[in-house]
Amino acid sequence: MSTKTFKGGAHPPERKDRSASSPIEVLRNVTQVVIPVNQHFGAPIQPLVKVGDQVKRGQKIADADGRMTVPLHASVYGTVKKIEPRMQANNLEGLAIVIEPLPGDEAVFMPTLDPFSCSREEALARVREAGIIGVGGAGFPAHVKFAPPPNKPIEYVIANAAECEPFLTIDERVMEESPEDFIDGIAIVMRITGATKGVVGLEDNKIHLVPILEKAIGQKASGLDIVVQLLRTKYPQGGEKMLITAVTGREVPSGGLPMDVACVVSNVGTLKAVSEAFRKGKPVIDTGLTVTGGACETPKNLFVPVGMLVQDLFPDVVRYDEKKLRRLVMGGPMMGPAVPSMQVPIQKNTSGVLLMDAAEAKVYEEGPCIRCGRCMRACSCRLSPALLNVALKAGDLDEAERIGALDCIECGTCSFVCPSHIQLVQRFRIGKQLVRAKKQKEAQRAGK
Amino acid sequence: MPANNLLLSSSPHVYTGVTPQKLMLSVIIALTPVSVYGVVLYGLPALLAIVVSIATAVASEAAFRAVTKQDVRIGDLSAVVTGLLVALISPPSIPLWMVAMGSFAAIVLAKEFFGGLGANPFNPALIGRAILLMSFPAAMTTWHVPFQGISDATTGATPLNIVKMGGTIADVGQGFVANGLATASDYGSTLWTLFVGNRGGCIGESSILLILVGFVFLLAIRAISFITPVAMVGTAFVASWALGMDPVYGALSGGILFGAVFMATDYSSSPVTPLGKAIFGAGAGLVTVIIRRFGGYPEGVTYGILMMNAVAPFMDKLRVKKYGFVAPAKPAAKEAAK
Repeated sequence: MSTKTFKGGAHPPERKDRSASSPIEVLRNVTQVVIPVNQHFGAPIQPLVKVGDQVKRGQKIADADGRMTVPLHASVYGTVKKIEPRMQANNLEGLAIVIEPLPGDEAVFMPTLDPFSCSREEALARVREAGIIGVGGAGFPAHVKFAPPPNKPIEYVIANAAECEPFLTIDERVMEESPEDFIDGIAIVMRITGATKGVVGLEDNKIHLVPILEKAIGQKASGLDIVVQLLRTKYPQGGEKMLITAVTGREVPSGGLPMDVACVVSNVGTLKAVSEAFRKGKPVIDTGLTVTGGACETPKNLFVPVGMLVQDLFPDVVRYDEKKLRRLVMGGPMMGPAVPSMQVPIQKNTSGVLLMDAAEAKVYEEGPCIRCGRCMRACSCRLSPALLNVALKAGDLDEAERIGALDCIECGTCSFVCPSHIQLVQRFRIGKQLVRAKKQKEAQRAGK
Repeated sequence: MPANNLLLSSSPHVYTGVTPQKLMLSVIIALTPVSVYGVVLYGLPALLAIVVSIATAVASEAAFRAVTKQDVRIGDLSAVVTGLLVALISPPSIPLWMVAMGSFAAIVLAKEFFGGLGANPFNPALIGRAILLMSFPAAMTTWHVPFQGISDATTGATPLNIVKMGGTIADVGQGFVANGLATASDYGSTLWTLFVGNRGGCIGESSILLILVGFVFLLAIRAISFITPVAMVGTAFVASWALGMDPVYGALSGGILFGAVFMATDYSSSPVTPLGKAIFGAGAGLVTVIIRRFGGYPEGVTYGILMMNAVAPFMDKLRVKKYGFVAPAKPAAKEAAK
């Protein structure tokens, strides 16, 4: 089997060994959940419950009309205690529903639905009703992604099984422990999108999963063209654009979406959720994540109720060394945000909690650019980070746009490889906003 | 301030561990074989020139930054590299005060005046050499025969000089035999002697073999890109041939290989884009050959690279096509994004 990849990228230490072999533990008992209402990318939704209401596990607790919305469900059986702004995993405050569990487990799921005999509209409605969002990144509503306009036919459904972020192993465990659900998810998305080809994009550090996945394909999707494609273990192989290029050789056009090259990319967790939404009628109320890091004494892969606070993981579920802990990261070390406290909820798209120790959490002073060109070689989008940095420092937004500020996927490889520890991607995040604002202003002026 | 002292910073939270200091150290390692061989060829005077040059470079950088109230960052080893380079491209008989002056000029005039590490538009070591060459043309073009010590009795011309003055490659070969540097004077043995480096010239430039060792090392650790050196030597090769000079002889003599590997690859004074590097290298190679063929100097590497340094910033415009590049004025892709 040939191993494919993209141009550029880097090799951060993987550090997956500590949690890769520990089976997923499913957690049910929590003392409270704080469920941020708006975890998806799109239009905001409103709570459907009031303080004091009793909610069942799986009950819809927030929703709104509109295409770019997904509903939210209670992840525990309990009483709504508060509806108030709380700190979210992205370091912003947002409205959250606080639920205190009651003894017992009263659940209300949707009826099961056969994805292959129902209509496409019914299937899309089910994906939406289950509250499924892309858990690999920004939380894009899955039902929107699966329903491109008619002039954009889909050829490939690509399962993003790269898990290129260091430390994280939850996708690997999900594929090992429930490969059938995962493959079933691919088959369902192929049915919904009308795609003829399914590809599991797997980094070659997980080569041991190939027979497991191929067996599941044989059992669950024998009539479909689904293949496992090995990819080189390289960051950011799991970036949507990089994955598409590695698998199909196509490049998503600047400013475009995967559907422009006839692809739909979905994460392992998303595909598993799709399968469960149909087969069990279960909405997204659990999050799979890896808890690990240098300060973590018992690295684990977990399924926890959406909205569980990080602090409630300790000490019963996971033990950590308080003296060693220097940085808390929600997600992987390359893209995950560092958070200031443990009172942050685990959300639908939280893939990990990293407890980094002093050795891992070093902070460096920014040095002068020596123009070594390492960022230019590493940039996964073939931008010119060194030059973009100069343009943004000089406030030259036109030049920044020409270099491709808006094409930056913020993977952070440039900052990772920079010997002078220049805050490249950090500056580009701000730069992107500035360039967008500039373009808006220009558009307004042109409109007048 | 979080109660539990959690560090907050924007991702990524991990780094490679490569620092400017390590990159500079790798250049020093790559220069070690030619430096040692320079001392083998010319003895103590070469060693003293190297030591004095490095010491002056480091001291002037520290002093300049202290006087101008900036962080002293001699720890990044870039001054050591510059000092070493200045010595290696000087003749072995250079007076110590003169090499110190070149080193000082390289650091203060060419580097620190422009903002220090990463900000110098011209290669500092070459500026140092250019200043010395213009100020002290005699001392900077006095050459010695290897293995015979530095004295008036052991002076001799460089291979390029001999050809410039109307000699032939056969004359060079006979000279090697006369000085005991080669056993035969045929074309092949002359080229071999040049390749090994047993000929008159600057302290560090003569051994092509050892320069290539350093080149391979720098490529292996990916400290430099192969594009500039290959483009420079390749262009010089073709241009020499086109102008009726022996291209192999031209590549093996003089300082073109040393310049291509260690000077044209200087990070801050050369372009960062691949196409820019290629044009930069090609331009430097071309100017070198034009000076060799038509100019007053026998060697043109210094000015070849310095002239291209001046246009390097423009070459940064020659960027690689970004991922998913679409030619402008194609509204279809933009609409789909919305």
